[in-house]
This record gives sequence, C-alpha cells and structure tokens, in this order.
Amino acid sequence: MSVALGIDLGTTNSCAAIATPTGVEFILGPRGERVHPSVVAFPSSGGVVVGTDAKRYKLTEPHHVIHSAKRFIGQNIRAPLVQLALTGVRYRVEEGPNQQPIVVVRDRRMTMPEISSNVLLHLKRCAERQLGTPIKDAVVTVPANFTDGQRQATKEAGRLAGLEIMRLINEPTAAALAYGFGRDRQQIICVFDFGGGTFDVSLLRLNGEVFEVLASEGDFFLGGDDLDRALGEVLAAECNRILRIDPRPNAALMMKLMMGAEAIKCHLSDNDAAEGEIDGLEMPGTAQARLPFQITRKQFEALVSGYVNRTIEVTRQVLAGAGIDASSVSEVLCVGGSTRIPLVRQRLAELFKRAPNTTINPDEVVSQGAAIQAGSLVGNLSAGTGMGARDAVATKGHSSLGGGGNVMLPQGQVKRPILMDVNPATLAIHTAGGFTERLLDKNSPIPIERTRVFTTSRDNQTRVEIDCCRGENRRYTENEPLGTLVLDELPPKPRGELKIEVMFRVDADGILHVRASDQTSGARQEAHLQVLGAPVHEEPHR
Amino acid sequence: MTARTSVLLWAQKVLQMKDAPPHTLLDVRSEATADQVSDAFQKIARMAHPDLHRSSLDPQDLELVTSAYGKVAGAYQELRTQRMTTTKIVPITRDAPASKDAPASKGAPAPIAGQRMSAPIKAQSPSAGVPVAAPAAPTSGAASHSMNSKALIHYRKAEVALRRGEVRGGVLQIKMAIAADPGSPFLRNALTEIEAELAKKP
Repeated sequence: MSVALGIDLGTTNSCAAIATPTGVEFILGPRGERVHPSVVAFPSSGGVVVGTDAKRYKLTEPHHVIHSAKRFIGQNIRAPLVQLALTGVRYRVEEGPNQQPIVVVRDRRMTMPEISSNVLLHLKRCAERQLGTPIKDAVVTVPANFTDGQRQATKEAGRLAGLEIMRLINEPTAAALAYGFGRDRQQIICVFDFGGGTFDVSLLRLNGEVFEVLASEGDFFLGGDDLDRALGEVLAAECNRILRIDPRPNAALMMKLMMGAEAIKCHLSDNDAAEGEIDGLEMPGTAQARLPFQITRKQFEALVSGYVNRTIEVTRQVLAGAGIDASSVSEVLCVGGSTRIPLVRQRLAELFKRAPNTTINPDEVVSQGAAIQAGSLVGNLSAGTGMGARDAVATKGHSSLGGGGNVMLPQGQVKRPILMDVNPATLAIHTAGGFTERLLDKNSPIPIERTRVFTTSRDNQTRVEIDCCRGENRRYTENEPLGTLVLDELPPKPRGELKIEVMFRVDADGILHVRASDQTSGARQEAHLQVLGAPVHEEPHR
Repeated sequence: MTARTSVLLWAQKVLQMKDAPPHTLLDVRSEATADQVSDAFQKIARMAHPDLHRSSLDPQDLELVTSAYGKVAGAYQELRTQRMTTTKIVPITRDAPASKDAPASKGAPAPIAGQRMSAPIKAQSPSAGVPVAAPAAPTSGAASHSMNSKALIHYRKAEVALRRGEVRGGVLQIKMAIAADPGSPFLRNALTEIEAELAKKP
C-alpha cells in the first residue's frame, strides 16, 4: 500500500506527518526535530542546505539564506504588499517572466516554487529515511486565503520536488480535521490560525464525517514575523541609543536583532518580563558588542496590540458574515505559533466567552490533518480486512515515536472524511463601463462551477478580451487583476447577437479554471486563463 | 459497485438539467428553509463528493461527477445567499433562468466591453507624488481623491493614531489601507515617508 505524506508548508516552519493504522507519525529531521524551519541556504562553500542546518547561515551569510518564501510564492511581484514584504528580506528578488518574483543568489536565478521545492524535497527525504520506503504522493496545506496563483505555485513546488500533490487543503480545515476526525462531532467550531507569516480564521460545521467550512477570512500579510519586526525595531532603536550605532543598513546585525526579538517574544509568552543581553553583535569598526535589553510583557503587548486587534476584528467580521453568533461556537481551536501569545488567547476568550482549546499543539495540528487527508485519499486509513475502499479503520494508539501530542485515532470503524472547503475570494469579470460581473462568490463551497452567457457590446466585434479579477468591488480597477482571456476571430455580428459562454470552475484545490467559448459559431473556440504571478509551465497544465 | 453506478446516474441527471432552478438541482422544494437546503447539500456531498470516487472512477467519469457536483455547489450557494439576505421566501419563477443567463436581453449592463486596448488605470491626481502624511501632523483633505472609501477609513484611522503618537498603530492602518486599495501610490508614498521618519528617530 502506498504511503502519502501530509505536509504543513509554513512561512517560517514546516512539519510533515503520515497516517499509520495506529496513529499519526511525525517526520523527524536529522536532529530528531519535528518542526523543520522553511529555510533554504546557498552557502559560499557550495551546495544547498535546508531546515535547521540552514538557519545558522542566517547570521554569517544573510544574503544567501532564503526564508519566508511562502510570502512570495505565486505572487505578482508588482503587488504593493509584495513590495512591502520584500523590504523585510535580505536576499535579492527580481521580476521574472509573468511578473513572478525570482530569487537571485550570486549568479543563480530561482523561482519561488524552486525555493519551496527544496523544503519539500528535504521533508520527502527525511520521510523516506524514516519509513524506509519511497514516497511520491502528498497532501500539502495552504492558508485559507491563498490565491489561485499561490496555489498553483505550491503545486509546482511539489512537482519540482518529485511529489504528486494529490490535494491542497486549507490549513484551518486540516486543523479541524485533526480535531474532529472519527469523533462524530456535531458542532460549530472556529479555527483561529495565526502563524509566522499569515493569519486566517474559519468557521466550520462538523457533522459526523462531514467538515463543512461556513466562512473563512484572513490577512495574508499578518503574522508572527510582523510582531518580531515591531520588537526588532525597538531593539534597533535601543542599539542606536546605547551603542550609538544605527544597525539598519547592516543586514547581519539586523538579522541578529530580529532573531533576538523572536526569542524575547517566545520568552514573554511564558514569563512576565525578559531581561538580558544580545551578544555577539559584530559592529563595524569595533569588536563584538552586547546589547542589554529589558522588556516586560506589558510593553510587548502594547507594541503588538494593533496587530492582535486586527485579528479579533477579522474574527468578528467572519462571524457577522456567516450570520453566526459567537455564543453558538462551541470550540475555538488555536493554530499557529503566534496563538501562544497570552494576549491573543485572552482576546479570543473575551470574544467567544470561552477559553480557546489549548490541548492541541498549534505547530503540529495542521500537518496531522494533512496526514489524515493524505491517508484517506490513498485509502491508507483502512487497516482491516474485507473493508471497502470507502470504509476506513484506524485503531487507537500512540505513534511509534511516543512523546505525547500525537493524534490518537479513534477505535473502530470510521467513515472517510468529507471536506467541504470554500472559495476564498469573489471572482468576477470585467464588463462594459468598468464594472464587474460576479461569477463566483467568496465562501462558496468548492469544487464549484458556474457558467454565464455574455455578449458583445459593439457591432461587428471580432475579438473579446475577458479580464478576470478577484475582489468584492463593483468597479473593476478596485480589484486584483488575475489575467486576461482572449477570444479571437469571432464572426462579425451586430452587437448583442454573439453568445459567449464563460465558465468559472474552482476545483477542490481552490484553483481557478476559466474557459470561454463562442456558442454561435460552429467552431467552439476555447481559451484558458494564465494567472499573473503563477509559474509558467513548460507543458500545459494537466 | 452500486455506489459507483448510482453516482454516475445522479451526475448524468444533474448535467442534463440545463436551466433548472437551483432547488431542483438540490432536490428540495422551492420554499425549503436554510437548514433544509444545507442538509440536502450535505446529503449529496456524502454520496457524490469527488474525493470519495477518486480511486474508483476513471478520469472521464470523475470529471463528470466533479462537474455535476460543482453545479450543485453553485445552486447551494445561490439558495444559501438568498436565505441569508432575505427574510421572506423568494418565489422562483420557472422561466427565469433563460433571461438571467443572457443579461443583454433584459438590458442589464453586463456585456463584455469590446476591443479595449488595456484596462483603464485610474488617473492619478497630480498631488499624488507628494504625500502629506508626516507622522507629526498629517493633512487630511488631499487624501480622498487617490484611494477608495475602504482605504480612506483606514487612512483616517492612521491619522488619528499618528496624532496620538501611536506610530505602530498608524503604520498598521496605512498598511491596511494599502491592502484595501493596492493601486494607490499616494498610500505607498505615505508609508515610505512614515518609515523614513521612523528611521530618523532613534
């Protein structure tokens, strides 16, 4: 029976697991670690280093260490928020074909999917070493609000790593799956996912084996990294004040301060104050220096309260949008390392009038869900004999690794889970007068398909351009452009006579397929959409 | 084997119902409540979700099932939206879909614009290159021309925050304004300027 890997490909850290008949087993790194930094280093000494080992090059060669690739994967480099995020990294990024970002390390040019494929390949190799069997299938998780281009690029990364991505699933849905799989729950839950680089919140209705996402909302550029940066800048100011050196232009120095900030942040989750020194700061002109710091949890909370308020505001919006009262939510799952911050938990408790669930491990729960879905898709949850492919069995038990925190699969016969995810954004096309015509609404269940018939606005028009966009606004220019589909050589007809059928389909991976065809002319010509920022394939998709 | 046959029969039936009203696709009465609609869709999902048939159907049949499921999902979304936004039950006329699918016939402004050279980029006001959002005392009047209303709300909040000296909050609001209106160079300039100011101050 084939083994399929469940992978949580995170902005800062990744995690992988597989579903075995006895439970979910984590894939360990070379040092026995469960959490693998999503960092790829190209050291001067040559080669490619990934994971925990790559992280240490951050200090010595900051320009050759690629981190946070998830923030750029499948993005249009010209998008303002991408430009903003680029100011936070020390490696070089240029514009490539189809407006995709290209990483430049020395004279090597790599696409973002290529960078991420190194992380996936690393996980694949770790898994193969641990399990002693080749692995070719995987389920990879993505943030719920990942766009089409980002999803396509993530799949491309898998392909480059020699993995067939059977399915992309949304991180909050994966978390809900790990929480509810096989337990036959009937309830509405909220998954609050505040990770290293992204934030999203989802409402789900669990009904036995059905996991129906009711609504999902998020902020793609809000995460623990932003909190680190806020604190890091305070440290930089301190550095300037105490040591009289401005660390800003110095990449290595800033990196050191940011790493210090991250450590302080984590320390403040368990302690009321952090006091100490950041040593080993290499100052230009002087020998190594130390920067003393003293930060209380209160000060830190004041610093990041704007970000936390934003997450709570988004959560309120989701509830209102789905028409659900906070009191009817019977469980709040915290996912992502940033939910360890006491202020976040406190605000959530205030909003829902109940303490969030803290029994799950926020760093690992997503990969557990991915592993369950992977196992379900290859039929590997089944351990019994004489069972049909649709019946899955898992027996209760610890992972062979032990150590606690593992998902224990329930005993007896469980049905294969059905994930009913949603489309993260409204998808529309440009119509005459600069307006949009919506084809698929945000939060529609996927896979979904919708066809509309349009016509020409001028006499003898032989060419139509169908601009597709994502966003809520009625005016086309206020939305994010996705790309343009062209139908050419149409038969000249008076306006309004041609019938052009436009089909939007969002597949179960959340990837958009647009097809336009001319219904009047016998030759039904078709065009497919190439999303801006998405990887350019050598061969056509599928 | 029976599951396989029944799902294929179902898919064919759905795909044949070309202009059927959404409630027919879901197999509920036209006046069904939100809960009934949702239960009906879950029932269909338990039987026809494409993931369940991944290994048992060949690609063509799977495509058929996926397409049928997608259509029903669209119908579900339509009914769900109706039931969320209106309190009274909307009667669905049987002949409606034909006119709805061809907006031109009822004169709705939905035809595709023809032979556009490029998407009209919103004209920038000449003052856009000179943002006025300094951390100390931002001027408010000039802002409204170069961003959308959602962004403007965040921009106003940013001004308030900056006046109070809450630089972090101000920067966050500006970023949120940029998120609401990614096309506004005014906002990006404002952010750059605030960050430059921040960098100067120890």
